[in-house]
Amino acid sequence: MLCGLETEYGLWIEGRGPAEQLEDAAEVVRSYPNPCFVGWDNRFESPRSDLRGFVAKTLSVDPVDAQYDVGRQTPLLDIRADRVLPSGARLYNDHGHPEYATGEGDHSSVTLDDMHGEEVVLAAARAFMTQTGRQVKVYKNNTDFHGASYGTHESYLVPREVPVETLMRSVVPMLVARQILTGAGKVGFEHGTPCDFQISQRAEFFSVLASVDTLYQRPIFNTRDEPHADPTRWMRLHVISGDANRMPSCTRRKLYLVQRAIDCAITDSGPSWDLEDPIKSMESVSKDKNHEFVVETKQGPTTAYEIIESYLDESDLGDECRRLLKAVRSSFELLSRQVDWAAKKKLLELSDAPDPRAVDLAYSDLDPEVSLYQALVDFGEVDSADVRVSSNQSRSFARGLAVQKFSGDLLSVGWRKIVFRQGEVELFPDGVYSEQLSEISDVVEFMRALEGVPRA
Amino acid sequence: MPTPGRKQSDDGPSLPKVERPEKPNPLAERLKKIDPDQAKKYRQRSGQ
Repeated sequence: MLCGLETEYGLWIEGRGPAEQLEDAAEVVRSYPNPCFVGWDNRFESPRSDLRGFVAKTLSVDPVDAQYDVGRQTPLLDIRADRVLPSGARLYNDHGHPEYATGEGDHSSVTLDDMHGEEVVLAAARAFMTQTGRQVKVYKNNTDFHGASYGTHESYLVPREVPVETLMRSVVPMLVARQILTGAGKVGFEHGTPCDFQISQRAEFFSVLASVDTLYQRPIFNTRDEPHADPTRWMRLHVISGDANRMPSCTRRKLYLVQRAIDCAITDSGPSWDLEDPIKSMESVSKDKNHEFVVETKQGPTTAYEIIESYLDESDLGDECRRLLKAVRSSFELLSRQVDWAAKKKLLELSDAPDPRAVDLAYSDLDPEVSLYQALVDFGEVDSADVRVSSNQSRSFARGLAVQKFSGDLLSVGWRKIVFRQGEVELFPDGVYSEQLSEISDVVEFMRALEGVPRA
Repeated sequence: MPTPGRKQSDDGPSLPKVERPEKPNPLAERLKKIDPDQAKKYRQRSGQ
């Protein structure tokens, strides 16, 4: 199943603040020092279109952020500063956060690309630091501990004929439950029930079950209908409720678990969990320090453990999840080697920092010299994810080749189309883009080859 | 007559009691490097 992952990075610049963050993030992105193409095609963006068949009149805006924007003149597109990378990925500024959107692929190739994204964003930040002399920090997290949250979004290509209600019924219980195996962990709380530590960065920032909004009054199930492909054949499930993970194994597991829920919806063969209150359960699972993880359903109480188990298949990743579900209950040491929230909790137990949020923030710091996640890796406290990819033959490979080989002929690049001076080419989400494309040196021949790719 | 210089039993000399510094935990050392005030001054715009 084709998927992708976008991460909005936290950005701190010495002497600057949220009022300047839109311009600053754009400058950080523009500072990216390595080869890339400038010219993103945003024709197919439709953030107000809803999968349920209507278009929302407006999107909600965070009232605190709105104060920063009073009188702002800079057009949004200028400030996005889009870069297309030779890997087929996209680097840009999203609401004041440097964002890295991986190229499309399976869960392993996307996990590897997400790791590459950390290097890309760090390179941009370091170049900006050199240019300005200001200290810069970039964090792979989802909160500033003061009420602002920013996202890590997953995208999954789903056949249009799958009923949205079926998809939502299958995916929502997984989104509530999976945090026990994929949460990044957070010190303290910003909304709702007080706690000292919770397993998810993002869980307490959701207030509705389903909507197109992403900036404020966020939904657990995002219904944005923006397929970036032929809309008569495909829709894109856009998941906004996940955490930014440092451990590649958590990233891969996060993608796998939602893919399982989607597979169950496609085949109409999965478990049937009818949650009483998904928003309340999302928060209560995240904040359950006893690790019972009770979820109320209309048929009675169950647990996040049972929900996850009911979706697992017989794959290696399914087995990994079974082992970790046992470890949550019986082996914190194993869990801390493979799940971000447990690793962070282990660090907190070692620390005597007067403000434990500093430990949380340092875990997500991309600078390997000070990152506490990197410290765990350096001292052998994290198990290798062993992510292997034979080759990525998705359309991101073709997009990347266009940037690598024909940038002088490019007018714009997007998820769905590449516009060359010689014409426009569609990239198919089910296209099989083989290694042989890299041997073509003539742009017109390359365009013909893209138009004629076999479809899976 | 016991041979001079030979051991009379299997009990060897005990190690002198010396105060040794504890082996530093490298992870704890890295924890000490973090900026304790960074989270207090960290403010962001909301993202998506």
